[in-house]
Order: sequence, then structure tokens, then C-alpha cells
Amino acid sequence: MIFLSVPSDYMPMAIMFVVSIGFVLTTIFVTHLIGPKRKSDVKLDTFECGIEPQGNSRIPFSIKYFLVAILFVLFDVEVIFMYPWAVNFLELGMYGFIEMILFISLFMLGFLYIVRKGALKWE
Amino acid sequence: MNTLIAIAGIGIVAMIADILRIRKIIFPVAMAGLAIAAFTAVSDWNTNTRYFNDMMFFDNYAAAFSLLIVVIAIIWFVMAVPDLKTGNHYSDKSALVAFSLAGSVVMVSFSNLAMLFLGIEILSVSLYVLAASNKNNLLSNEAGFKYFIMGAFATGIFLFGVALIYGACGTFNLQEINAFVATNKSDLSGQMYTGVLLMIIGLSFKIAAAPFHFWAPDVYEGSPTTITAFMSTIVKVAAFGALYRLMAGCFSQINEWWTTVFIILSVVSMLVGNIMATRQSSFKRLLAFSSISHAGYMLLPLLTLSDLTGTSLLLYGAAYAFASIGIFSLVSVMSENDDESIDSLNGFAKSHPIKAILFSVLLLSLAGIPPLAGFMGKYYAFYAALKSGNTSIVLIAIISSLIGVYYYLQVIIAMYKPTGHTSASFRFTIYQNIVLWTCFLITLILGIFPQLIIGWL
Repeated sequence: MIFLSVPSDYMPMAIMFVVSIGFVLTTIFVTHLIGPKRKSDVKLDTFECGIEPQGNSRIPFSIKYFLVAILFVLFDVEVIFMYPWAVNFLELGMYGFIEMILFISLFMLGFLYIVRKGALKWE
Repeated sequence: MNTLIAIAGIGIVAMIADILRIRKIIFPVAMAGLAIAAFTAVSDWNTNTRYFNDMMFFDNYAAAFSLLIVVIAIIWFVMAVPDLKTGNHYSDKSALVAFSLAGSVVMVSFSNLAMLFLGIEILSVSLYVLAASNKNNLLSNEAGFKYFIMGAFATGIFLFGVALIYGACGTFNLQEINAFVATNKSDLSGQMYTGVLLMIIGLSFKIAAAPFHFWAPDVYEGSPTTITAFMSTIVKVAAFGALYRLMAGCFSQINEWWTTVFIILSVVSMLVGNIMATRQSSFKRLLAFSSISHAGYMLLPLLTLSDLTGTSLLLYGAAYAFASIGIFSLVSVMSENDDESIDSLNGFAKSHPIKAILFSVLLLSLAGIPPLAGFMGKYYAFYAALKSGNTSIVLIAIISSLIGVYYYLQVIIAMYKPTGHTSASFRFTIYQNIVLWTCFLITLILGIFPQLIIGWL
């Protein structure tokens, strides 16, 4: 096996490393140095839309929020597939239409499944 | 292609069966669906059809591996159904298994690197959940979590390799990559080689070859026993199918280069797997290390690409998978007693004399004693490696399979010892009896008539 690459071929990778490490270092340390420092009680307070912060934010919360959020992401991503289909609707014609009906029916089946499983039940 | 649709159909029916409260139909539907899948895999023979703008290619190789996977899945399902039924989420687990199977069929019939990635993901994501499916068991949760983290890393590394190869040749298509490698053989860039290496690493995680095996013992031990059986048989066969299809389909021109990588993986897997297995007291963990060592043996036919490579891989996969599933039916009975140590088998031969003989035969098949299937698998694997001129590697393989005989015999000795302080009772259901006898017969038949598989591809 012969590698016909010379060290200079890796120059882009070296630059990439420098940039990525530099970005992290800049955002962590340099911002501390160049940012204005006004340390008053109000400035150091947690920002909560102007409302006085109440208690600790690290509290256990119901898994239901997480479930709803992840299901939202799932269906959101599924809808994305419809955009390229809609753009090419005329070209794809009947074949594309049937494929999309199949796709939607399968993913409505999934929706039915999560509803019947009680994933969206709040009480 | 119809194989894939039939298997995906099982998964969807299993999900609907749950919401319509007709869970009873899952097992018959799964059996019927898998039978249809097996039939369509056979009918795909010699058709060589390409699907979806050459994303999938069902050649004879894909049909043979799909058929093997489906047959293993039928036997697995029969073994697992009592266990699946007793726990919660019978239908969900069945659906996940079916989707995982669909992923494994994609893995052996891809014609595009994107499809290979998709197959690996469909297979793995279902398995992450299944590994943690025993929700009340801490070990099972740990297994699922570890498998997820390690699998995610492996996928990331694999995808990095795919990206580098795309950067080098500008295509995901296997044929086009092969053509690119063939024309630019002498001046391939380092990017290309790095990509191939990263893809090999990513797939080595899936086949649990050392030194990428560290997740395997813990995950195999913690997962529910039936899922362990699934992981160590079907996933391994599918991952080897994918590895061979990738290496032979894309990179056969730079064979001499990646052979070195496979030699190292193979030797390390065989030595680590076999030596570590001798130190185990848990039967499930022993089988985990034995599966690592078998990954090493299965890499041997890949050292040279000839007509024999595919078939000897198929034969070894079949011999290993059927013997393993038979043995896992014993482990699943042991897990019901919450004692998976080898010592708990003491007195087994006295209470179940015929079963003890059957299990001994299966264990000896894994050890590679003639005239059983494991011997023929090893014979062809070693023969393929010898033909490529790697005599010293075959020598190491023989030495390590001798170490293997030691720990498989230890299990047999434990079965034939009189009852010690533990007197566990073993309750076999009718399903496990069927699986045991089927695996025994297949092991015997493949050992005596290996030409049933050899020479087909």
C-alpha cells in the first residue's frame, strides 16, 4: 500500500482543529476578559422574565413533558418529508400520491398507537 | 424485497394487535409472516433485482443470508415466546424484534452505503430498547444504557468513515465506489483508507470483535436471556453479512491492505475471547466471550476473497447460530431460577439425562468436534484462511479453539457432576423442547451434509 499524500495535505484538518479549539477557548475564556463586569445583586440574579426566582430549578418533573416533546419532534420530522413531495407533486403523479397515502396511513397508525397506549394522557 | 415487507408487516400487526386487544394473534402472525418471508427469500433466488434507484440489490447472496436470518428468527421466536408472554409489553417487544429483523435484512441486501447505515440503525435502535426491556432489573437497565452509548459511538465512527469515502469518490453506490477504487487503485488518497478503516471499526463493534468487544460481556449478561440470544446470533450473522458485502462489493481491489486489519482483529478476538471465557463462572458471560471468539473465527474466511468466502461465512453463521440458540434455551430456563452460574448446572444430567446429551452435543459443536456443524464451519473457515497463505493465523486459530474445548467441556462436566449444595430444578416448556430438538437435528445434519450450504453461493 502506498500513501501518496504528503503532510501538507492535512493542512485543512490542522486549520479545522485550530479553529474548533480556538472557538471553544474564545467563548469560555476571552468573553470573561472582554465583557463588562458589573456585579450587583440584580445583575447576578437568575433571569426569569423579571419575576423573582422561586426555589431551585433542579427538581424532578414529570416524564410526561419529555414524552410529549419527543413525540412532537417525531411528527415534526415526519412532516418534513412532505415538503420535497409537495414540490415534486406534479412530476411524481399518481405513483407519488399513492406512496404518500401509504406513508401517511402508516404514520397515522403510529399516532393511533401512541394515543391508545395513553402516551398523551395527562392525568 | 418481499422478505423485508413481510417482516415489517409482522411488526406493524404486532403493534396494532396491542391497541385492538388481540394479543393472541401475535405469535401465529409472526410465525406465518416469517414463513412467508422465508418463502419469498427462496423465490428471490437468481432474480438479481435492484430496487429504489439501486438502493437495494437482492442477489443470491442477499437471498441466502436473508433466508438464514429468517430461519434463525423462527427458531428464536419459538424459544422466546414464553418469556415474551410472561413479562409486560409482549406486543411491543415482538414489534421491536420484527423491526430489528427488518434492519438485519436491509443490512445484507444493501447496495448503497446510506442503506447500510439505515439498516444498522433500524437493527440497533430496536435492540437498545430490547436490551433494557426488563425494566425492574438494574442490570438490564445498565445493559441497555451501555449498549446505547457504545452503539451510538460505533455508529458515529461508522458514519465518519462513510463521509470520508463519499468525500473521496463522491458516491454512496457500491458499484461506483468499486469502479472508482479499481481505476484509481495506485493513487488512492489517505482519506479513502481512513474511511475504510473507520467503517471496519464501526462494524467490528456490531460483530463484537476484539478490541471493540468491551460492551459485549456486560450487555450480554444484563439483557434478558432471550434478547441475548437474539444479539449473539441474528445480529452477528447480519453484521457479518454486511461486512462481507461491503468489503467484497466495494473494496475488493485493495484486498491486501485491509486483510492486515482483519488478521489483527481476528487474532485478538480469538485469543481474548477464548482466554477470558476460561475465567468465567457465569454461563451467560461465558457465552458472551465465546461469541467474541467466534467472531474471530468468522473473520478468517474474509482474509481472502474467493467463491468460498460467502458460503463458508454462511455455514459458520448457521452452525454457530443454531448451536447458540439451543444452548440459550437452557440459559433461559436457568434465568428463571435467578442463577446463571455454571455450578448451578450440577445434577442436571441426573434429572434430565436426554437433554444433557443434547446440550453436550450443541456445546461440542461450538467447540468444533466432528461430525457436528461447528467442525465443518471451522474446517471451511480455516481452509479459506490457509488458501490465502496465512498459515500462522490458522495455527493461532487452532490453538485458541483448543482453549475453547477446555471451557465448553467444563460446562459439560458441571452438568454431569452430582448435585452439589444447589439443587435447582429446571422446568422446560414445550417451546424450549421443540427448539432444543430442532437445533440438535440441524447441528447434526449440517455437520454430516455441509454441502447443503456449501457451494450454493
